[in-house]
Amino acid sequence: MLRPAPYETVLKPYGTALVELALQRDDVVCLGADLTRQTETDLFRDRIPERFFNAGMAEANLIGMAAGLARSGLKPFVNTFGVFATRRPYDQVAMSVAYPNLPVRLVGFMPGLSSPGGPSHQAIDDVSLMRSLPNMTVIDVADSGEVSAVVEEIVDLDGPVYLRLKRGEIPVIFDDSYSLSLDEATVIRPGGEVVVVASGMMLAPAIKAAQVAGDAGVDVGLVYVPVIKPLDSATILEAARGSRGVVTAENHSIIGGLGSAVAEVMAEAGLGVPLRRIGVQDVFATAGSRPYLFKEFGLSARALAETVWELTGTSAPLPEFAEVTEERTGVHEPV
Amino acid sequence: RIAYLSDVPTRARLNAVAMVGELGLGYLGQVFSSAEILTAIMGRYLRTGIDRFVLSPSHYVTAMYAVAVELGQLDREALETYGRDGSPLETIGSERTPVVDFTCGSLAQGLSVGIGYALANRLGAQGARTVVFGSDGEMEEGQTWEAAMFAAHQGLTDLTLVLDCNDSQVDGPVSSVTTIEPLVDKWVAFGWHAVEVDGHDFGELTDALDHAADEPKVIVARTTATAALSTLEGLDDAHFIKVDADLKSSLADELEGRL
Repeated sequence: MLRPAPYETVLKPYGTALVELALQRDDVVCLGADLTRQTETDLFRDRIPERFFNAGMAEANLIGMAAGLARSGLKPFVNTFGVFATRRPYDQVAMSVAYPNLPVRLVGFMPGLSSPGGPSHQAIDDVSLMRSLPNMTVIDVADSGEVSAVVEEIVDLDGPVYLRLKRGEIPVIFDDSYSLSLDEATVIRPGGEVVVVASGMMLAPAIKAAQVAGDAGVDVGLVYVPVIKPLDSATILEAARGSRGVVTAENHSIIGGLGSAVAEVMAEAGLGVPLRRIGVQDVFATAGSRPYLFKEFGLSARALAETVWELTGTSAPLPEFAEVTEERTGVHEPV
Repeated sequence: RIAYLSDVPTRARLNAVAMVGELGLGYLGQVFSSAEILTAIMGRYLRTGIDRFVLSPSHYVTAMYAVAVELGQLDREALETYGRDGSPLETIGSERTPVVDFTCGSLAQGLSVGIGYALANRLGAQGARTVVFGSDGEMEEGQTWEAAMFAAHQGLTDLTLVLDCNDSQVDGPVSSVTTIEPLVDKWVAFGWHAVEVDGHDFGELTDALDHAADEPKVIVARTTATAALSTLEGLDDAHFIKVDADLKSSLADELEGRL
């Protein structure tokens, strides 16, 4: 299922997939807010200009227009940075999109600390905001093949979708035996004294941490959860039951996202298994490069491994190891 | 057709007095200010099954129910459930309510939805017109001006915004809270065709609606929340009116006298 690290990357799988879908379907329209190249939708604009609408920096109006287009039978894909897709027009998303249960596909780029731009550009609460809205599906994928597949997977889904996406170069983590499911989480490593539950950009560090642990004789299970809502609680509970601890890993605040969702289902099921949440620890981050931010704010394979060691109580020493890397295509993509 | 419609605003106001009077309080001033506007839009301008209508300030839905009954678009018996627990005739319109094409309520979201309708119509070459009913208080929300700018940029000539300018919001007269004027000049500056009418004059309203413009069109309809009823003279809170039995009966008497 897994390819070996360092991972190769694919450039702009989302923008490419959206154009391919729209060439087959007249009902797909593309909206944006002055971030066209940054959301890979320059590909759409250049190919299908009549179905591309740039609302400018006016996100409240952007969301309302998408709602009107959706009520008219179209499938709007609304593309901007995650912060501007969720925080800024929250009331419009709630009342114009989520409440009427309209098929608007909100695509929020630069999730969590993947943006070097600091707190104004880092969507650390987007999953939390969208997860709390009734009718909303929330997706946080990791792999380039998933990004390509998810566009077609969600186009006919009932109701609104929030899809958070890293932009630009996306790692190829899975081999061809994996296919994205919107219904089921994927058990990557079964069993485990400790079970890691990861989403989005934390999948690669989670794989690394699990491998390091395995090599050191520490038994770690790994469950990958690309769909945060509706959550596949059955798979998570089955993996967690009887373990000595669960560690969630998300590129997001530990409040309201994957960690909270897993905590809710574990508590309701009465598992009584300790939980640790790796993520942004209820703080605003700073500007900085992605490797720096992920290390500084604890979104690392190292932080995961330390937490696994703590939960198992193992006396085995935690080995030194390097963080996971990607073989970048070298295409320059400034903010 | 106009002769047939001439009593509709007064009958709608009577309906609303009964509905709101039954509850003891509610959005009556909005019905009084908008009865002619909604009659002109719903009774004359909109083509059923073709055109689209968005009610942006959803607390005006009382007026829509009251007018819709007179136009045969809603069963009269339904009005008796208005505002009751479990009734789809909610006091602020929602997805559950009849005769509403889009949920608003959180103010100033309707024009953007209307733009979405107009864009979809243009993509599909469907020949539909979109009317958005708005209110002067909504001019305070930034989304109004985001939408205004974009509609003009897109040249959406099939889009019409009708503003009920009754100078009333929760805290009192709009003009006492902030300055939204000069409204006509503002909309013209944003690239719209703007016309000002007496919002209680059915002829002026229908002329303005029928006028074909080269830009998106806004009709600034000047109205009063008292509809010149002497019973309501000196009313200081027109946004949410308490209607006791005495007021209900004197309002009904004065309105009956207009028929």
